[in-house]
Amino acid sequence: MSEKQREHQSEVHTPLKKEDVVNIDFVKAIGIWAVISGGLTLASIILIFTKGLNYGIDFSGGTEVQVKFAQSVSPEEVRAFTDSQGFKDAMVQQFGTGDSSEYLIRLEGKIGATDKETNENLKATITKAQDSIKAKWPTSEIRRIDTVGPQVGNQLKRNGILAVFYSLLCILIYVGLRFDYKFAPGAVICLFHDSVVTLGVFSLLGKEVNVQIMAAVLTIIGYSLNDTIVVYDRIRENFNKYKGRALGELINKSINDTLNRTILTSLTVFLATLSLYLFAGGVIEQFSFAMLIGIILGTYSSIYVASPFILLLDKWRKDPLHQPVSNQQRKPAKA
Amino acid sequence: MRTGFTWRIVTIFVVLLLAIIFFVPNLANISWWPTKDKIRYGLDIQGGLYLVMGVDVPAVLRESSDRLAETLSNEAKDNGITLTSSGRDKSNAENLDIHVVTASSGDSDKVRDLLKKQYGTNLLVNSGASETELVVRYSDLYLTDLKKRTIEQSIETIRNRIDEFGVSEPSITAQGDNHILVQLPGIQDAARAKDLINRTARLEFHMVDTSIPQPQLASLIAEAEKIGQFQLKGMKYSEYINKLDDALKGKIPEGTKVLFQKNENAINLEAGKVPYLLKKEVPIAGDNLKDAYVAIKQDYNEPYVSLSFNPEGAAKFATLTGENVHKYLAIVLDNVVYSAPIINQKIPNGNAQISLGGSRNRQAMMDEAKGISMALRAGALPAALEQLEERTVGPTMGLDSINRGKKASLIGAILVILFMLFYYKGAGLLADLALLINVFLILAVLTALNATLTLPGIAGIALTIGMAVDANVIIFERIREELRHGASYKTAIVLGFDRAFWAIFDANICSAITSLILMHYGTGPVRGFAVTLVTGIFTSMFTAIFVTRTLIDLLVEKVGLKKLSV
Repeated sequence: MSEKQREHQSEVHTPLKKEDVVNIDFVKAIGIWAVISGGLTLASIILIFTKGLNYGIDFSGGTEVQVKFAQSVSPEEVRAFTDSQGFKDAMVQQFGTGDSSEYLIRLEGKIGATDKETNENLKATITKAQDSIKAKWPTSEIRRIDTVGPQVGNQLKRNGILAVFYSLLCILIYVGLRFDYKFAPGAVICLFHDSVVTLGVFSLLGKEVNVQIMAAVLTIIGYSLNDTIVVYDRIRENFNKYKGRALGELINKSINDTLNRTILTSLTVFLATLSLYLFAGGVIEQFSFAMLIGIILGTYSSIYVASPFILLLDKWRKDPLHQPVSNQQRKPAKA
Repeated sequence: MRTGFTWRIVTIFVVLLLAIIFFVPNLANISWWPTKDKIRYGLDIQGGLYLVMGVDVPAVLRESSDRLAETLSNEAKDNGITLTSSGRDKSNAENLDIHVVTASSGDSDKVRDLLKKQYGTNLLVNSGASETELVVRYSDLYLTDLKKRTIEQSIETIRNRIDEFGVSEPSITAQGDNHILVQLPGIQDAARAKDLINRTARLEFHMVDTSIPQPQLASLIAEAEKIGQFQLKGMKYSEYINKLDDALKGKIPEGTKVLFQKNENAINLEAGKVPYLLKKEVPIAGDNLKDAYVAIKQDYNEPYVSLSFNPEGAAKFATLTGENVHKYLAIVLDNVVYSAPIINQKIPNGNAQISLGGSRNRQAMMDEAKGISMALRAGALPAALEQLEERTVGPTMGLDSINRGKKASLIGAILVILFMLFYYKGAGLLADLALLINVFLILAVLTALNATLTLPGIAGIALTIGMAVDANVIIFERIREELRHGASYKTAIVLGFDRAFWAIFDANICSAITSLILMHYGTGPVRGFAVTLVTGIFTSMFTAIFVTRTLIDLLVEKVGLKKLSV
């Protein structure tokens, strides 16, 4: 079969074909990109720990009321109202588009001596908020009230972190098994970079982080890997096809080969997410914002972070990948 | 696998047929249709109430052990052995050990035998610090079972209370080992629902201790209040009775406590209360209650609450009334004495009455009677519930959100479809077809699994649309590459699909891993998102690879398309 013939042909020293129009040397500039990526990640970590994340009530506990007024009400009026009711440090935010008729009001329940007390205070806060709003603006409509007690808040935070941790761990193991253990760290660092910088952007912009954003981070982790795997798969194939070539060359070629794939697949998801961001509103808007950042970062990191890491690891380790020892015991390249 | 073309087509048809069968109930109610389930919308779309209640399981275990300590004391007495003391180390809330001290080591041996006979393996009896002391506790197996029963009974109780509301699809489930998740879609009166769920209505019966006459009792209390500088006004009732209990130690007989009854003419306890000295022991409690309903007293045309016990409770009640004729039995609800009628005779049939008392207007009494009986009938909660999380979504909010969500997903889908069409032309059209089948399959699977579609779930479908075509992009790019290398169309297609398969597989597995983890750790809307995403990953693998390939093969081989634009 012509397929087998061609493969056999390539087993012998074949000059690397100048395949496509695209032939950018990505690996050469690895130093610069390492600095940029490393810098972004570091800056994000610093931001997260100093400026902190704007935790939504899901994580920090509290009550959030979404109110729609029949008439136009100014933010000052709402703030004056919350002050008058004794809700100290209430956060009032205008919600949605244009007309100043829908607001998000965030109230802290009085922290009690025990969690039980705090929960009771929160319960009282809800009733008080509902009643007082209705009293002052009878035509208003309370669209949504969310209350999260301290135990649940902590649990959600814990679960979020555990979820991210286990995801990274599972992926580390899976990539290590399916490709080569040298490929795995690159993938995980790439994902870590994506999620941390996304959170860094949220910290920078002071955007609220709640469970949906954590879901976005996890989705980004799962999705951003897709690009990386496409490249890894090509590296694996090229490695078996062009024996004896320098790893750096192979990696370069692989990235170039798959460049349009990497960009196009990200483009399709970007389009879908962009539509969500522009039209869905509410909670989905924030979620899609996180996804958009994650997609861009994911594409970038698949090219500039994941693969060069293989090179780095390869240089450090004693059994470099690019020795002409045929690794026949590994799975034959199917893709 | 280019042979077996027929069975590939058949497979696709069967899958589509199944999907249609499952999906149709969403569109119309056909009485003879084999499946009935529709897609369930999450609370964030339907509107409704979402509550997470914490069950104070440790308190239940403590109370059980305390009750046991009292019971042991009495049982020993019944067998002629007087215990010096029997009780738990109250200072340590976690310790469930009951220290039983007898008069002599001979007695402690008798007690040990007695316990073994009565309780068997439910109790662990060990020697204590001295010959005359035994350390008794419930076995771990019994405790685990008790925990489970507590949660189950709480769920049952809440369910009964919710039934009163007529919510269409209430969901009350255990979450973890001490949380209960209550979801009430479309509920109108959330405040009343919460109130009803939260109402503890803990029913307990106590014998009244008449050793201290009323006026003396009242002055003891007044004195304690003055010394301790506290009163009921300004603090919670439960706190007040605890404080009083501490203050009156030594002044009231051992094993008794003071609870209050609302004065007939007062509007609440604060305004007027009558003290009762009650024995701490609880011979019967709410878990033995079978039924409670409002009845009318014939002579005064007054409403009252009629109680009846289950067989175990009736037996206990019979013993209790038999032993205590001419004594007073206090009926206590949430530590408030409602009534303390005299026991005229042994009551063998397990029926009792709670009189509301007072000459308030009949309507008020009726309401109160209804409230009590409803709470009692729906069951008494075995443990106190704490509200940990609450989310209420109004009906209009949900409608708004889903409309915008649908619109956004639709626009996203159109963008992706158009892109595929323009960039990959003919093949792109096939990919788009596969995409539409994909979305349909996702909805069908969600319906079949009776999964909940939440707002993030709809976003998840939009995301899946973007991700699903990725597989096609990879395949088509590969085909283009092979064409550039000079392969024929047929070969290029084969190579394209074969070579791309593992990359797509690995990528999707990783997405599936994170989605499954998210499904495990997520709750509510986020969980709905994860479920949708996982479903989408699997259906898209099916459509992007299997369906597209079959379609292309169909065109190239069967229909004889010489050239497929890609």
